[in-house]
Amino acid sequence: MFQYEKKLQYPVNIKNPNPKYAQIIISQYGGPDGELGASLRYLSQRFSMPYAELKGLLTDIGTEELGHLEMIGAIVYQLTRNLSIDEIKKSGFDKYFVDHTTGIYPVAASGAPYTVTTFQSKGDTITDLHEDLAAEQKARTTYDNILRLVDDPDVREPIKFLREREIVHYQRFGEGLRLATDKLNEKNFYAFNPSFDKKCNRK
Amino acid sequence: MSNRTAALYKLSSVQFAALELHIYLDTHPGDVEAQKKYNEYTAAYKAMLKEFEALYGPITCPADGEEWLKDPWPWDVTKECDC
Repeated sequence: MFQYEKKLQYPVNIKNPNPKYAQIIISQYGGPDGELGASLRYLSQRFSMPYAELKGLLTDIGTEELGHLEMIGAIVYQLTRNLSIDEIKKSGFDKYFVDHTTGIYPVAASGAPYTVTTFQSKGDTITDLHEDLAAEQKARTTYDNILRLVDDPDVREPIKFLREREIVHYQRFGEGLRLATDKLNEKNFYAFNPSFDKKCNRK
Repeated sequence: MSNRTAALYKLSSVQFAALELHIYLDTHPGDVEAQKKYNEYTAAYKAMLKEFEALYGPITCPADGEEWLKDPWPWDVTKECDC
């Protein structure tokens, strides 16, 4: 089960609203490499993980990603408060505004709504862990790009925190992959699926 | 910065240290040194949380309904009203 904690993982306090930034950063809410996809990916993949370390890792990182989703929501919410119609039109935020006003809705920066087709839950330990490593790098690249586009330190600080978390998670998934391959039967040289083909596991 | 905000940041930093060690221990379950540090941070966090909630109201479940509904919510801008 899950229980809510009424706090953010890292503080978000943005003094100056900026609808231009909001339109970029919302991609980490509902975009192809965003936090919603990250949490759903890990929390779904964990069910078919055969080893305790990986069940733990996917549960804990998947849960942390839900906290990151909340941080991104808070950033976008704070960037879009007290906007005038003139600011909304000038910044190009009008295209989002017409459908969602200043509500938080999972879309990519392009405006494409969130889609689960951006991730897999393949039921294969090795396949899923490789996807997870790539996912962390893709999110890290997106945060790098956000940092190239955003000057406001109030926005940059929480984004820098989130970027660092991608790097740490990548490290942990790398260790998880090594743990998984170490547990394979020595004859399973090509790393066939230890989630389904149980004989691939070391006795 | 208000006392509540300062206390919340301190609490969050200790909780973060515990979380980071917790995730590390998922892939290093036998690391005695990390486990020891994890236990220390977790004990410190539990004590700080108790103190924080006694002073500023609940931030974890289960919580009293009326107290739970009080501001601020995590996404509220808190710095402005602290000035």
